[in-house]
Amino acid sequence: MSRQQSINSNQTGASTITAQSPLNRSLRTTGEEIWKRSERINAELFTLTYGAIVSQLCTDYGRNFVQINEELFQMGYNIGVRLIEDFLARTALPRCSDLQETSEVISKCAFKIFLNISPKVINWSNNKDAFSLLIEDNPLSDFVELPMDAMDQLWYSNVLCGVLKGALEMVQLDCDISFVSDILRGDQQTELRIKLNKILKDEIPIGED
Amino acid sequence: MAIETILIINKSGGLIYQRNFSDTFASKLNSNDFLIIASTIHSVFAIASQITPKALQITQNNVDYVIPYIPMVGMESSNPQQNRNNNLPVKLGSFKGPDYFKESFVSWNKSGLRQLNSDQFTMYIYQTMTGLKFVALSSNVLANKPASQIGNMDKGKAQNLASQVADNFLRKIYCVYCDYVMKDPFYSLEMPIKSELFDKKVKQMVGNLS
Amino acid sequence: MDAMISPYATGDNATASSVMSEQHQFQLFEESLRKVNILVFQMLINEIIPLSMGLEKKLERANNDELSDKLSKMEVTEGEESLSTVVPTYNTKDIIPSNELIHELSELKDEDKYNKVIDRVRNIGYQVGNKLSELLIFTNNPNLQFKEMDLLLIMKFICRDVWKQLYGKQIDNLKTNHRGTFYLIDYDYQPIREFCIEENALKKELKLVEPFLEFPVGIIKGVLASLGYSKEQVICLATFIDRPNNDIPDTTFAKGISFHVQITTQNNQ
Repeated sequence: MSRQQSINSNQTGASTITAQSPLNRSLRTTGEEIWKRSERINAELFTLTYGAIVSQLCTDYGRNFVQINEELFQMGYNIGVRLIEDFLARTALPRCSDLQETSEVISKCAFKIFLNISPKVINWSNNKDAFSLLIEDNPLSDFVELPMDAMDQLWYSNVLCGVLKGALEMVQLDCDISFVSDILRGDQQTELRIKLNKILKDEIPIGED
Repeated sequence: MAIETILIINKSGGLIYQRNFSDTFASKLNSNDFLIIASTIHSVFAIASQITPKALQITQNNVDYVIPYIPMVGMESSNPQQNRNNNLPVKLGSFKGPDYFKESFVSWNKSGLRQLNSDQFTMYIYQTMTGLKFVALSSNVLANKPASQIGNMDKGKAQNLASQVADNFLRKIYCVYCDYVMKDPFYSLEMPIKSELFDKKVKQMVGNLS
Repeated sequence: MDAMISPYATGDNATASSVMSEQHQFQLFEESLRKVNILVFQMLINEIIPLSMGLEKKLERANNDELSDKLSKMEVTEGEESLSTVVPTYNTKDIIPSNELIHELSELKDEDKYNKVIDRVRNIGYQVGNKLSELLIFTNNPNLQFKEMDLLLIMKFICRDVWKQLYGKQIDNLKTNHRGTFYLIDYDYQPIREFCIEENALKKELKLVEPFLEFPVGIIKGVLASLGYSKEQVICLATFIDRPNNDIPDTTFAKGISFHVQITTQNNQ
């Protein structure tokens, strides 16, 4: 029995391949290349399917928008816990060393690969435990207009919060995720806030260090 | 590399997938044996991580964890005769071919068990960031050849290459897992994989490898 | 069903070359449109069934405590100020995994309840179908000449364009008796391609997959409604069928799907 990583790789020297190491490639390039190699679908079809789901929820919940927000979040969570595996299999990105790196991965890789947008990372908290994503050109809400009664309660794209929550939880990051503002509500911009509560250290797979 | 068995172990050490591809040693084991093997691998993996000397961890830089991309491992067109259509994008589930990925990558498994050699078999482990372990048992044995046949350096090289091939291959099994298991809405996370389609796909890829 | 013909075989050969270039242009145009990863779309579609089931459960619970609900509503109207300022934090432990909801649906004994869930799924499909035809009409699709579009052309439009847009492939076979009955057969229905089937539990598994055929049923009805055939005129049923031959790789779902569409046209004459 031998623990391969410890001894023989040192001897044979795998150093020749460091030039193409993913560590040296920018996250933006990684995101773009994987986007190019993904099967795609018309964004408008996606938009209107999501719209049909939200509208069905409105019918069923009799415009109880707080409940609808929760429902969208839960649906997103169920997507996120599965989608993360796909993201990791495609990118094989190493674990982020801090939240700043995580924010870059979410914006330049995750959003890029799945929705072909790269939200700006803004509004860092002083102790760097929270940031916002400025979502422009949100493919979920293209051409959407909210009815008046939904304007101050419905977070139309709340599914995104759920997806991020589920995905981050699977890589052992416990975060609070919510929308702060949405253009659909008449706000200046669409801002999604991610706050790291704690790293679930006990759940990080042994062997990663 | 001839693969005898593929195992997938969930983050709590439970066996969620096991398949033998030939009827050598592994086929003599029953499903209960495999459950025990899975949890043993899970534990030994963790122990290995804890006994890695700190000095070793510090002197090693990231170079060791970079797995070079080895083209077309386990893919159909690894046969050069069929390679003509290489420029056309092949559909690999939701991945656009010809291959599942095409750049070198960093192993998430830094201090855990990665390869285990015996005089009967070699075992390779690939662990994901979510704690899944993809395990391949191969009948190719490198450990026991006399040093006169292959020089020490060559042996190391061969082991290293085999390990890299295994990492490339197991990452692809992970990709297939995403397409066939994660997208199966009936699948319950952490539970045994029953998808026949996944099974067929894995079998195909193992077949391509040998 | 006598005298079924397959209208796919008879092409309009006369204008083939000009159609080709139009097709090419259309394809280029299509490619220039905004895209998202097909995965997120598939994941979203897969969530429609568990969502509809979860809704049914919650609404039922809400009905059961209707009395207490009324009381709480009164409280809400009194204390409005907290509504939009509170940042919601959801306990993810309480979220029921989608696969559990799907299994629960397939084991539902109460037919009335089952139908309510299915109606919800169909209705979401219906809304998508309804808007989808608008979307396709406005993209200058050369396959569409709505001036003289009869039912057969509309069905061809569904088979070709709607299906292509949704699933990246056409319906494999369209059959009709020319009296309002159509069979749209898809031997490799894309959304369930990755679904697993255990041969020893075929019946149970098919019951699980069945609800996933209701979304496209809704879509077909939605498209027809947007082109003048209202919900009430159209009956659409989806059933599993065996494939006639084995030219489809075995890494796909074991069954084909047949959509039986029946249209009563008396209002449209």
